[in-house]
This record gives sequence, C-alpha cells and structure tokens, in this order.
Amino acid sequence: MMVLIAVLCLTLGIVFGALGFADGAAVFLTEHSDLVLCLLMFSVGISVGLNRSVFRSLRSYHIRILIIPAGIILASVAGGAIAGALLGIPPAGGMAVAAGLGWYSLSGVLVGELFTPQLGTIAFLSNLMREILTFCLVPFVAKHFNGYTAIAPAAATSEDTTLAILMKYTNEEVVVMAVFNGVLCSAVVPVLIRFFASL
Amino acid sequence: MLILILMAVGVLIGLKWFPERYAKVNSRLQLVCTGFLIFCMGVSLGRKENFLQDLLALGWQSFVFAFIPIVLSVLAVYALSRIFLEKKKQ
Repeated sequence: MMVLIAVLCLTLGIVFGALGFADGAAVFLTEHSDLVLCLLMFSVGISVGLNRSVFRSLRSYHIRILIIPAGIILASVAGGAIAGALLGIPPAGGMAVAAGLGWYSLSGVLVGELFTPQLGTIAFLSNLMREILTFCLVPFVAKHFNGYTAIAPAAATSEDTTLAILMKYTNEEVVVMAVFNGVLCSAVVPVLIRFFASL
Repeated sequence: MLILILMAVGVLIGLKWFPERYAKVNSRLQLVCTGFLIFCMGVSLGRKENFLQDLLALGWQSFVFAFIPIVLSVLAVYALSRIFLEKKKQ
C-alpha cells in the first residue's frame, strides 16, 4: 500500500512538474516542503516517545550502534567500485558516485564539480534511484531480513524522507537507530566524495 | 539541526503528554506528510531541465550504481546485525 502511494505521488509530482499543471501552487508547495518535513519529524518523534521502552533498549547497544552506518558506508563504496568496474568508470569516480548514499542533490553537484558533469549526472540519478528504490524495498527487506537491515537501502535518507516508511514497517527502536544512521551518513557524504576526488 | 530538535520535542511530548488513543491519527499524519514530500520531489524532478533526457541517456548506468550498493549494503547490514545486534537481544 505504502509503495503504491509512493509511486503514485512521485508519478503525479513528475507529471505536474513537467507539464506545469497548477504551476504556482505546486511550486509554492515544493518550495515550502521543508515545513512538512519538520511536521513529519515532529510526528515521528511523538511515535518514538509513545514507546517508552525504546530508550532503555537503545542504551544497551553502546558502541554497537555504529555497526549499521559503518556497514552501509563500506558496502556502498565497495558497490560503487564494482559498478564502476562493470561500466568502465575509474574506481575513484565509481566510489564517489556511491558515496552519495542517497543524498542526490549534494552528490550530483559535488561529483559534477570534482569529476565530470556526466559523472555528476550519474551521481544525481543513481542516488535519486536509491531513494526511490528504498520506498519499494523497505517492506520486503523488513519482512525477509530484519528491521535493522531495512535501514540499509535508505542510507543517508534514513533521517528524513524515508523515515516514515521505516516507521511503518519496523519499530520505534529501529527508527531511532535510523535517525542516528542518517545523521552520520549525511555527515560523511561530502567528506567521502572529496576524499575519492583527491585519489 | 532544526528537524532533529523538532523530533526531540516530539519525543518529549510523546513520552509525557500525548494521548495513546491518538497514535493512529499520528500515524496517518506521517503517511500524508510522506506522500506530500514524495510528490514535491516529483515536482522538482519534473521541472528540472533535461531530466527525462538524462534519465534516458544515463538511466541504465545510474541504476547499476544504485542497485549494487543497495544489495551490498543490505547483505552487509544483515550479516552485521545478526552477529552484533540480534545476538545481544537473546
């Protein structure tokens, strides 16, 4: 159901944007979408707060809470190197594209500036696809793997846009870990891309 | 930073004052907000010049760059969570 809603909203949005339907209203809403993101985060916070056992449970993880972001970052970068090898793109460029971790707006610009405009476009599109695929994959991954693993496709987006779908298909404990993961992954995106550009 | 502060305020309200009976309404609100954000993402993409041309020209390569890191991330986090996180809970 959630996947259907996600695909429908995305398709409608693209059609509205491309054809200029209700241009003024759609653009106004899009430019103020940060307010809706704030409302979403506030609402997710309430859901987390309603589950009082979450914080006790999280405290017991200690340093192990870093395992998820570490796994996502290393595996994504390795995946970028493999994808680059398959497509004839140098390893540094391939790793930089994947180091976007779903943050398409930043990675598209940074990779475009530090490598080539074409690779920047690939970074933009691939990280956008990562975010869109996350909406489709979270229900499957949460069901057939486990809740923690559902954070993996989301990567840096797990602190905002994909958080609500994680909330729906996992639990409050995973949601708090997802926010922590998203903050950490987002912080390393510019660092990693610049690092790979310097190689 | 602002969204994290707002989330923390939400957690506090959820812990102290939010009535449990409105939990479902809160969950619906999240669904509506998510749908709206995805719609806005679509509008931004639709308005982007050359978006469809770029997608046609570089879509396949971009898909490979999305797909392989996702698969490896899922496998890595699954293995790590089985070893370090699920074992802890038993």
